[in-house]
Amino acid sequence: QVSVLYFARSAELAGLRCETLSVPRQITSLQLWEEIVKVHPRLAVIRDQVVFAVRQEYVLLGDQLLVLQPGDEVAIIPPISGG
Amino acid sequence: MDESEDVPKDFIKLKSEKLSVDEVSELVISPYCGAVSLFIGTTRNNFEGKKVIHLEYEAYTSMAETEIKKICRDVRQKWPSVKHIAVHHRLGVVPVTEASVIIAVSSPHRAESLEAVMYCINTLKASVPIWKKEIYEDEYSWKENKECFWANSEK
Repeated sequence: QVSVLYFARSAELAGLRCETLSVPRQITSLQLWEEIVKVHPRLAVIRDQVVFAVRQEYVLLGDQLLVLQPGDEVAIIPPISGG
Repeated sequence: MDESEDVPKDFIKLKSEKLSVDEVSELVISPYCGAVSLFIGTTRNNFEGKKVIHLEYEAYTSMAETEIKKICRDVRQKWPSVKHIAVHHRLGVVPVTEASVIIAVSSPHRAESLEAVMYCINTLKASVPIWKKEIYEDEYSWKENKECFWANSEK
């Protein structure tokens, strides 16, 4: 069970900012994205523009294997625009 | 003179209240430094011919603070003489002409603090999870920094 955080456009598309999701403990980042899109299909349109932050480290959507612990924070990070 | 009393510090703050240039520059002033360099990012009133009413910022706050701390650490590695660093970023609504970010760096001589300030704002735009929404008269747009490597540049 991980905490998924949504920001900016992804929060608008998902309709919420935070939720708990049950996912396999070991999963690739792309598979994790696909799990999230199952719950929020409207997110599919931004697939090519987002990265994850898993335990506050950036992770690209792809084959990278994530080892998740219960309570881990996974954030959807649309293109940033600070400053 | 005992410079060990003036330990280098990083001052990082994300807040929704109006930012103060006086406050941020005072944080980095040091009797051992002859230079304080500042960058202020302010809200422009136009984008591609559209009138900007105001900006709205949001942040993944805990990670943003961590990423800014990493930037400060990098600054100190690249410019070891840098003394204090302050980065204040505003969240929420920022009206036109008001500051959304203020960065101040002090160093004994001017070259290091000038270069460090530029590095800070450039790296912040590439790596800190903060987002800005530009509000126009009849629509809005989530902005994307060109420094952000996961944004689509061809649109």
